[in-house]
Amino acid sequence: MSLAEEYTETSDDSRLERGLAYVQRNSRAYLLIAPAAVFLLAVVGYPIIETFRLSLYQSPADSNIETFVGLQHYVEIFNSDIFYRLLWQTGRWVVAGVAGKTLLGLLIAVHLKGDIRGRKFFRTAFLIPWGIPYAISAVVFRWIEHPQFGYLNAILLKLGIIEQGIGILGNPSIAWLGVVVADIWIGTPFMAIIFLAGLQSIPQELYEAAAIDGAEKWHQFRYITLPQLKSVVLIATLLSTIWTFVSFDVIWTMTGGGPISSTATLVIHIYQVGLQNGNLGRGAAYSVIGFLFLFVFAIIYLRIYTRGGDEL
Amino acid sequence: MTMAGHDRSNLRKVRLYGVLIGLLGLMMLPFYAMFSSTLKPESEIFAAPATLVPSDPSIQAYLQVWTQTDVLLWVGNSFIISVGTVVLTLLLAIPAAYSCARNDFVGKRTFLLAVLVVQMFAPVVLIVGLFDVITQMGLFNTYLAVIVPAAAFTLPFNVWMLYGYFKTIPVALEESARIDGASQLQILTKIVLPLTKPALVASVTYTFLYAWNRLLFVLTFLTDSAKYNIPRGVFSMVGALQTDWRMMLTVSVIGIIPLLILFAFLEEYIVAGMTAGAVKE
Repeated sequence: MSLAEEYTETSDDSRLERGLAYVQRNSRAYLLIAPAAVFLLAVVGYPIIETFRLSLYQSPADSNIETFVGLQHYVEIFNSDIFYRLLWQTGRWVVAGVAGKTLLGLLIAVHLKGDIRGRKFFRTAFLIPWGIPYAISAVVFRWIEHPQFGYLNAILLKLGIIEQGIGILGNPSIAWLGVVVADIWIGTPFMAIIFLAGLQSIPQELYEAAAIDGAEKWHQFRYITLPQLKSVVLIATLLSTIWTFVSFDVIWTMTGGGPISSTATLVIHIYQVGLQNGNLGRGAAYSVIGFLFLFVFAIIYLRIYTRGGDEL
Repeated sequence: MTMAGHDRSNLRKVRLYGVLIGLLGLMMLPFYAMFSSTLKPESEIFAAPATLVPSDPSIQAYLQVWTQTDVLLWVGNSFIISVGTVVLTLLLAIPAAYSCARNDFVGKRTFLLAVLVVQMFAPVVLIVGLFDVITQMGLFNTYLAVIVPAAAFTLPFNVWMLYGYFKTIPVALEESARIDGASQLQILTKIVLPLTKPALVASVTYTFLYAWNRLLFVLTFLTDSAKYNIPRGVFSMVGALQTDWRMMLTVSVIGIIPLLILFAFLEEYIVAGMTAGAVKE
């Protein structure tokens, strides 16, 4: 194995022998994780390296010739207006989406917390939007927001809020809102269930003591629920941030990034440039930039996740 | 309890259920729009503004959908892809999780953390590099082109879920089986896995749903329309100029029925899985 060869080059024989003896002693343990490790290296590890490599090459869609261009893609990306527009559009997409999911999820969880009748029914019903294909949710929202035949316009007309049907998804200045609504709808159940689990782990005595002290509902929420829920909220919003950042199916199905790229995010652009237009090099460079964002999120997540220390 | 206190608690209950039902209504609205539209005849679905209640409900769309679309094919493909992903993921995850739970070895921590990092690496930022791998492996346009990446991205959840669960099973159980002459494989299949059932159900459900729902891999790695899954099939019905909304929504309803059945039976496991995936304890 190449790993063993590398090892010989950098260390003396006795260390190698000891290392081999160790591996032999634990051979079964290594043998059992090997398939998963090799699989992940091939399907995730290698594409990561391949993406980095591709990002340094010019690869025209119509030929196999790859020309090494160094950091040219990155220079061009950082000097382009598109990149900064994508950052802004991705930012507002993530912030609006995560805020909506968190607040709505919290609202649902707080109301599901008590010993209520039909909790299993409510819990299952609230969970359903999370479990169905994003592409299906997306077409349903596309239908609801349809400028002529959509239910949203019908309701707004009936309530007298608007006088004429509006086409949300066709309007570059508000289309992203039309997509965010669908994304919030899809992501809220996860937040609600995670928050509910967090709420149920708060000791009931805290509330009883507060009630005896005459604390009002709002104060109980402010001084007991929120602080106790802090780490759960942190983890859940962080995960949600990552998922919203990389969300593809919803935007792609609802608008394909349009109209005039107003709903495109960084990942939508990766797909358009790299796969739709076949400019693998440029797409890869955008991917690497996407990695960097994910990397920052991942580090924060790992820090929170392993804070206990004794987990592993 | 005094009368006033009783009234107040009743009022609180009314308010609680009011808010809950209101929120539920909001969440169910898209399902209503989807389902009620499929009950409309062709002339009514293209009425502007939309009728909120079908004036003359009929199941005609459900009768037409079998002959006018490939819905059965898509559902079948979704099953193939989902089951394939579940099998592949478990084959990889069970040994790895078991090994980590039972042994202490150099590299274990690295492996588990690396797996966790994979979960952060969303497929879409890898799609360009992944495209290369799939074509090089000669998987393009096969079911495996979808199953392999789906398994890679569900593997982290499965490893962690099962690892956590295996650790709670007492080693003493396995040791006594070993004294009785059971082999390693027998211990795993006859003793450990049956005890792991709740975690396995959560793992299988999560993986199945993931593979059932994903559009990206099918969109990118399958061009053969005979291999489309449900999301891809629905997506293919969105026309540039004309969309047959009635058929598309009917296909959507049919496509989510298996999931609704799954949810009704496995709700607790799904919740357990979701919670374990994100938050400790």
